[in-house]
Amino acid sequence: MSAFFDQYGFLMVAIVQQALLGMSLWYPLMAGQLSLASIGFYSLGGYIAAIMGTNPWFAPWREALGPAIYPLQWLIALIVSALIGLAVGIPALRLRGIYLALATIAFVQVLNVLVLITDVTGGAVGLFGIPQPFVSRLGYIWFFGPLLVLALIFSARLTRTVAGRSFMAIRDDELAAQAMGISTTFEKVRAFVIGCALAGVTGAMSAPFLNTWNARQSSFDASVACLAYVLIGGARSIWGPLLGAALLVALPEVLRPLKDARLIMNGVVLVVACIYLPQGLAGLLASLRRPGKEAGHA
Amino acid sequence: MRSIIILLAAVLIANSALAEPVGKPIPIGIAVGQTTNVALFGEEQVNGAKVAEKLLNEKGGIAGTPIKLMFQDTGGDEAGAINAFQNLISRDKVVAIVGPTLSQQAFAANPIANQAQVPVVGPSNTAKGIADIGEYVSRISAPMTLVAPNSLKRALKMNPAIKNVAVVYAQDDAFNVSETGIFQEAIKELGLNIALIQKTSVKDTDFTTQITAILGANVDMVVMSCLAADGGNMVKQLRQLGFEGTIVGGNGFNSPNMYPVCGKLCTGVIVAQAYSPKAENAENQAFAAAFKDMFKKDPAQFSAQAYTAVKVIVDALNEVQASGKDVAGMDLAELHQNLNKALVASSYETPLGEIVLDQNGEVTQKTFYVSQIKVSDDGKTGAMELLPE
Repeated sequence: MSAFFDQYGFLMVAIVQQALLGMSLWYPLMAGQLSLASIGFYSLGGYIAAIMGTNPWFAPWREALGPAIYPLQWLIALIVSALIGLAVGIPALRLRGIYLALATIAFVQVLNVLVLITDVTGGAVGLFGIPQPFVSRLGYIWFFGPLLVLALIFSARLTRTVAGRSFMAIRDDELAAQAMGISTTFEKVRAFVIGCALAGVTGAMSAPFLNTWNARQSSFDASVACLAYVLIGGARSIWGPLLGAALLVALPEVLRPLKDARLIMNGVVLVVACIYLPQGLAGLLASLRRPGKEAGHA
Repeated sequence: MRSIIILLAAVLIANSALAEPVGKPIPIGIAVGQTTNVALFGEEQVNGAKVAEKLLNEKGGIAGTPIKLMFQDTGGDEAGAINAFQNLISRDKVVAIVGPTLSQQAFAANPIANQAQVPVVGPSNTAKGIADIGEYVSRISAPMTLVAPNSLKRALKMNPAIKNVAVVYAQDDAFNVSETGIFQEAIKELGLNIALIQKTSVKDTDFTTQITAILGANVDMVVMSCLAADGGNMVKQLRQLGFEGTIVGGNGFNSPNMYPVCGKLCTGVIVAQAYSPKAENAENQAFAAAFKDMFKKDPAQFSAQAYTAVKVIVDALNEVQASGKDVAGMDLAELHQNLNKALVASSYETPLGEIVLDQNGEVTQKTFYVSQIKVSDDGKTGAMELLPE
């Protein structure tokens, strides 16, 4: 039993961590906006935590605060991410169409170049030796677990509030939503900023989890992976990002005994899921529970 | 419910208290990047390690008990490295780990092994601070502090008129960023003038902007810290656009993967090497011959370093054995501690020449090489010809 947790503890926490990144894309998607910014805010949050954890300038803070430095890192990551999210989101979201996707790709690129040329971020090597609040990787579930539960409760509540319903109205028909008196730009920015803040906090929790932080954390591949969690898991259910991350993060590890064939199997599963599960895993589960009713939508 | 909890607790305690014997054959973990864009290096490392397994077992392994390499793919990212390490430690129960490929991955995964008190030997991690991660972390890959100045001196000897130098480096690659720092210091020390510095990315394929700037600055020599694919492309484009001066490449150029990228235009490029397959020590000759026999080509540096890492571990295991303990009959945790003590503060004969690991697990390499690329007429294969001192 303990051997199982030794071997898979990191993986289980990694699933929750990646699910949170998926959720951060889920909010803008709820308002019909395709964003690839999450990985950028994840990186930003990670740097905030890594710098506060390792930079000598913050040494008195670390001594004075003890473990309370971690929540402070999350809070700062949240505020900075939300502010930058506003700055990126407002100009991009006043337009209709794919401009948010483009602006967010550009944002991640700019951030990466900035990180590489700045000394305080450690350049290409990055920052390492980040202080550890837990001895085992599994301990980090106390960081990510409560955040995921909070995010899920928040999402479930959101779908029942005016804000959430406005998001969905915009997703289904932006013109109609505007005609109904919804301020579409305001709502789209709101959905986007919620996602940015969540990604930032997830990043701040991830820097100690991975022991190190560098520019490779925000690669384009990683932003596409986050999007895949939502799309494979199901963009219309609050459980989608979690299901998608569970499948996509665990699969290559569970298939490890297959050696070289594991990534081929991984690819096959993805293709099959894309073709046969247009509503994602969450859609599949829903249609299993209510046979017939969902089949028409699928 | 309570009985289940007690049972669970009992299982947990029993498990952790259980003494674990060393597996037979003796398992050594290899955690390198066999997939993603790191695979180019990872494959070379896997090949080198396989030669080590064969050669060292033929020599009798550890007092007659053979070693067995357990391979776990790290992929190219930090999470993959952590997963691979945890598999090697918890499931494969290895006596030591060789890996991971990248320094950034080492900063993520090595603390895990250090905490589990499993010795790690880095085969290709050159960033500052690797050996400081912990007591159980060592490396056999030396930073380029010595070889970079040597290659520049060679270039000056071939063309004493060199005065103005352009420096190029891939700013998104940890190794090249640290290497260019060493190059730039060496250039200044030799009394040369750095006319301009150009930054590239290992993902770039078009270097027109940088080359235009270099040609405009009218330099005599370009010193490049890039990897094989981007560096090869840049050399090709430099020559095509008319640069005729000397080109010196860092250790990233020390790969046969250069030749197919830039073809005949690579000929003449001076390369600073941490390893040369033509090196004349006995360890290297045995290794290079066995490698050629197995893979029908000369070993690359990453292969030689992976071989060296495995050999260092096997040598240290033999030292534990020689101290009167039976390695194959030992408790695994006890062997981890003994092995780590034997690993550090020792010197080893390896294909890289003699290397010394200090008390902290940091490496000192005595010999480096300067070579010149010569691509054969087909434009696809070639060789690095050693330049005499």
